[in-house]
Amino acid sequence: MGENSNSGTVPDAVHAGRSTEDAVQPQGHAVRTANLWKIYPQEPRPVEAVRGVDLVVENGEFVAMAGPSGSGKTTVLNLLGGLTGPTEGTVRIGGQEITALSDRELARVRLKRIGFVFQSYNLLPMLTAQENAEFTLLLRGVPARERRERVRNLFDEIGLEGMEDRFPLKLSGGQQQRVAVARAVLGEPDLVLADEPTANLDSATAEALLDVMEQLNRTRGTTFVFSTHDPRVMERAGRLIRLVDGRIADESTPDGA
Amino acid sequence: MVRFRTLAWLALRNLGRELRRSALTAAAMAIGLALLILSRTLADGAHEDWIDSGVRLGAGHVTINAPGHRDSESLDDRLTAAQLQASLAAVADGPTPDPPLASVRVSTRGLASSPEGALPAWIVGVDPAVELAFSRLGEEVVDGRYLEDGDRLHAYIGEGMAERLGVRTRSRMVLTAQAASGDIEGQLVRVAGIYRTGVEALDQSLVHIPLGTARSWLGVEGATSVAVLLAHSSYTDEVVEGVRDSADPADIEVVGWPDTHPDLYSALKLDDGGDWAFHFILFAIVALAILNAVFMSVLHRQREMGLLRALGLSGRETGLVVLIEGILLTLASGIVGVVLGLAVVWFFFRDGLDLSGLWPQDFNFGGVAFDPVLYPVIEVKHVVQSVIMTVAIGLSASAYPAWQAGRLDPAESVKVE
Ligand SMILES: Nc1ncnc2c1ncn2[C@@H]1O[C@H](COP(=O)(O)OP(=O)(O)OP(=O)(O)O)[C@@H](O)[C@H]1O
Ligand SMILES: [Mg+2]
Repeated sequence: MGENSNSGTVPDAVHAGRSTEDAVQPQGHAVRTANLWKIYPQEPRPVEAVRGVDLVVENGEFVAMAGPSGSGKTTVLNLLGGLTGPTEGTVRIGGQEITALSDRELARVRLKRIGFVFQSYNLLPMLTAQENAEFTLLLRGVPARERRERVRNLFDEIGLEGMEDRFPLKLSGGQQQRVAVARAVLGEPDLVLADEPTANLDSATAEALLDVMEQLNRTRGTTFVFSTHDPRVMERAGRLIRLVDGRIADESTPDGA
Repeated sequence: MVRFRTLAWLALRNLGRELRRSALTAAAMAIGLALLILSRTLADGAHEDWIDSGVRLGAGHVTINAPGHRDSESLDDRLTAAQLQASLAAVADGPTPDPPLASVRVSTRGLASSPEGALPAWIVGVDPAVELAFSRLGEEVVDGRYLEDGDRLHAYIGEGMAERLGVRTRSRMVLTAQAASGDIEGQLVRVAGIYRTGVEALDQSLVHIPLGTARSWLGVEGATSVAVLLAHSSYTDEVVEGVRDSADPADIEVVGWPDTHPDLYSALKLDDGGDWAFHFILFAIVALAILNAVFMSVLHRQREMGLLRALGLSGRETGLVVLIEGILLTLASGIVGVVLGLAVVWFFFRDGLDLSGLWPQDFNFGGVAFDPVLYPVIEVKHVVQSVIMTVAIGLSASAYPAWQAGRLDPAESVKVE
């Protein structure tokens, strides 16, 4: 595997030379898209799921995306994580354009820099909660004892103590979701993309999860982009983006407009 | 390496999670392979039996004679005493665990006559003790006895000839042939015993007489041929080469049974073709079973595949997980199949599969009479071949689903529920 294709683990280079366009990409943007389109070929006519989204997320931001069902939230997140390619436009993650990468390079970017939390069914059913949570650590060759310790500490924090050896089918939806968040967070990615992470959770659990994410955001500068219908998430967001019909309709910050 | 270990681990966990499905797939493959091995060993057993029967009554697995003798069948083209000694020494030196049985023969075409008539005969002078073990013609006796050491003017003839000439045990008859000198010589003999092989051509014409009698009658010192019987036909080529290389008087001809028994050889080839067709069908069934199992499991797990991609596996690595599953399944089935196949062969057919109910009496094929009891022969080469083919088929049958898995669109896959 080719090393050194990455960058962007330096959260302090945040604002340096942000305005220089394309020449040398500064480390500043966790995410930057330009004129992003996703059109699904469909009968009787193509579905324009994402229609020209220009989105910039700075390193260390805690961003929520809201919008009605079908407005394109999931599609945008998939585009940001390179799980699907745009019909038009570009996606840059930490200054690296990912739209042009090969599948292998993309896989590497996802492993090293991006954590995913999906709407549901997040876990690998053949692995235990512990094994699911530590999966990306395993892929990166972190020693077993360290993995175990990190999982245990985090599980204790988010109310999953004693669940380590359970298989996903033996966990409630909320517990599964917490394991998924644990997995996304444990890999210490630069960017976490979470698709309605609190959708199936009761308030207490949702708050606990949000605490964990917020803490990570504060201490490590991890960038978070959520999609959500959940006011609790929107409340905590540093910035709220509203998507309507595949476009950014408006943006707001809690302490501003 | 860490990566590969992780992928293999995932594959194992997948198989373990769907243990029943995995076990069923493996069982299907294993049974297919076991059947294949059973069919191979029985076919090999039958073939070995055919070859054995054929060469015993004919020219042996390996035949040594003077160049030209096989065409001319003339006493002029014979082995000298020195050539005979050298040939026998070379045979005894051969690669087989036990020295093979070598029957020294002086044979000629001639005439067998009695007061009631005359018949063309194929007259063979043999060493009775050796030939008894070699051709087993002595076991087909219906009256009297086979030749014995010390016999002088005795002959062992077939039932057909006895009937046509109106002779019985102890009757006298005359054998006439051209001697080495070129003169036609007659030899008076007494019938020691009468045999029946069921092969009419043999029963009417083949006559055994003592080697010494044949030599003095025909004025021959060496022999017309040495027929060599091996423990197994698979040694043939090696022995042929060995004798060719080591026989000192260079002017001898050494050939294997396919050359001396061309009809038998082509009959076997034909039968092999039939076996291949059967095996091909068996393979196809096994392949479809694997293909189906692996493919279903991929369809079943699209979501997991998408998840693996999101977690940082490339498409190829995801496909590799599926391929490893196929490989593990195939290997497990391979081992179980071989053990099962050999066990069935051992427990049920060790004492032979008796087909006498199915075969007509005195069934003969390519001029050879057969034992209706089939004994399986485990030929390592063929067992290994079967295993290799099954594994190859297992791999190619998992390769397609693996490739498909590698190509899944991750965003679509994670949506599947
Ligand atoms: N694979 C696909 N093929 C065709 N159309 C699709 C596909 N995936 C999504 N769409 C369409 O794209 C649009 C955006 O879908 P998306 O899943 O991004 O919405 P969303 O905002 O996440 O909705 P929700 O809040 O219900 O999760 C929808 O109209 C949807 O029907
Ligand atoms: Mg969605």
